[in-house]
Formats: sequence, structure tokens, C-alpha cells
Amino acid sequence: MKLTVVAAMVILVGAMGLKTAVASSGSGSVVMANGGAPAPPSPWKNGGAPAPPSPWKNGGAPAPPSPWKNGGAPAPPSPWK
Amino acid sequence: MPGSIEFFVWCTCFILEVAVVVCAIRAGIFRRFLPLNLYMAASAVGDLLRFRILFHYGYTSREYFYFYYYSDALLTVALYLALISLFVQVFKELSAEKFVILGACLLLTGTSLFSYLVIQQSTGRLLTRFVVELSQNLYFVGLVLTYVLWGAILKLRETRAQLVQLVLSLGIYFSLFAANYAIRNLYPAASGISISLLQFLGCFLPLAWAYAFWRIPEDARLAPATLAVIPR
Repeated sequence: MKLTVVAAMVILVGAMGLKTAVASSGSGSVVMANGGAPAPPSPWKNGGAPAPPSPWKNGGAPAPPSPWKNGGAPAPPSPWK
Repeated sequence: MPGSIEFFVWCTCFILEVAVVVCAIRAGIFRRFLPLNLYMAASAVGDLLRFRILFHYGYTSREYFYFYYYSDALLTVALYLALISLFVQVFKELSAEKFVILGACLLLTGTSLFSYLVIQQSTGRLLTRFVVELSQNLYFVGLVLTYVLWGAILKLRETRAQLVQLVLSLGIYFSLFAANYAIRNLYPAASGISISLLQFLGCFLPLAWAYAFWRIPEDARLAPATLAVIPR
């Protein structure tokens, strides 16, 4: 039992070490190993999938009018000038 | 959009995957190598679905991207299970199947945990990153396991030709992908050629397994290696 656990850990460490060694320069490519389908571009650098719209910058939904600058209502005259 | 060569290779790969299952059924060994055949069948179904999604949504679509990587992860898990079934066959005579299964479960859990630890700092697309990371890590675990299995086959003097052919082809397959991956990382300028080669490499395993099921009889044995002469 102990030997099995130790063997599993050794294999895991060896595999991760091998992966680190192979991907030493870290170009961000992904290894694909199943089927003959053409691989889509790497997801982390040139992802084919469009990134989900950020809720803070370029949301798909139209941004609500800012209550402070461009509101629908005409801005009241500045009290300072 | 992929060109005609890519589609030709893709179709060839699909035909070879189907051929593996057909040859196994024809030879009456479908159940004996059930996980391997299920993996090939799943791979063929995956190819069909990928084909449909690619045509329906496009090569650079979000749907194709997600389906490709998620299905790849599932197929890698299936390939891992197929590899473990080969381990079980080799260690059956030693009655060590339960240790093999326990070790495989531990390794899968450990790999999943490791993958989670690697991506847990990511801010976005956590699940997708986890799926791709798990697929990558499991792939390398499979690579190491195949060489361990090959060592065990040599040590135990396994002579079942079909089994040896299956394990050898798996080792070559994993090694080819690892080499391709290394080239892409070391020479990013050549990554275009390397990615194109991936499709051709993907055909190797179904071709080798179809050959093993089609041409090598179930009871074929390899000639034992030269016996060591021990002086008395």
C-alpha cells in the first residue's frame, strides 16, 4: 500500500518535472493529443474564443447613462461659475 | 478555416478510429480491450461533433474553441483509463490489479489537485483553465506511465505480441506529441509547422492500433530474447 502511494507520487513528480523541462521557454502553447481535428489557436495567447466581455469596461450590454456626466436630463448650471 | 489537406487528414483519422473498433469486433477482442475501444469510439464521436460544430459555428468561434478543449480533456482522461487497463492486463498474473487501480486513482486525484493549485491564482475562465491544465498534466503523466509500463513489460518478459504492440505504439504516440510540444516551446517561429503536424500525429495511434487488431492474432507470442548464459 505504502509502495503504491510512493510510486504514484514519484510518477506525478516525474511527469510534472518533465512537463516543466519540455515547456522551459514557456511560449504558452498547449499540447493536444486526441483526434485529427484541427486545433484552434492557443487559448492563452491568441485565443480563438473571444474573451467574455468584461463587466467593467466593454460590456455587451449598453452601459447605463452616467448620472454624473451624460445623463439624459440637461445638466444643471454649475453652481461655481 | 482549415484547408482541404487538413480536412483530408481529419477524415482519415476518423476512418482509422472507426477501423480500430471494427477490427476489434471482427477479431472478437472488443471486450478484452474494452477501454481502448471505448476511447477510440469516443474519439470518433468527438471528431464528428467537432466537425459539425466547426461547420456550424466556424473555426474561430467560441463554440468550437470550448468544445475542442473540453472534449480533448475528456478524451485525455479516457486515454489515461485505457492506459491503466493495459497496466491491469500486464500485472494480472501478479494479482496486483487492485494496487494498480489504487495507484491510478491516487495519480488522477493528485494530478487534478496539482492542476487546481496551478490555476487557482487565475482571475478569469477558471474552469476552462483547469480543464486545459488537467489535460496537459494528465498527458504527461500518461507519457511517464507508458514508459513505466514498457519497463515492466521488459522486466516481466511479456510475450503477448498484441499487448506489446499496443503499448509500444502508445509510447511512440506520446513521445511524438511531447517532441512536437517541445519544439513549439523551444522554437516558437516553427509553431505553425508543428501545429500542422499535430493532425498527422493524431492519426498514428488509431493506425497502429487498427494494425494490431487486424494483423496480429490474439494468441501470437513474441520470440523470447536471447537467454542469458549463466556460468556454473
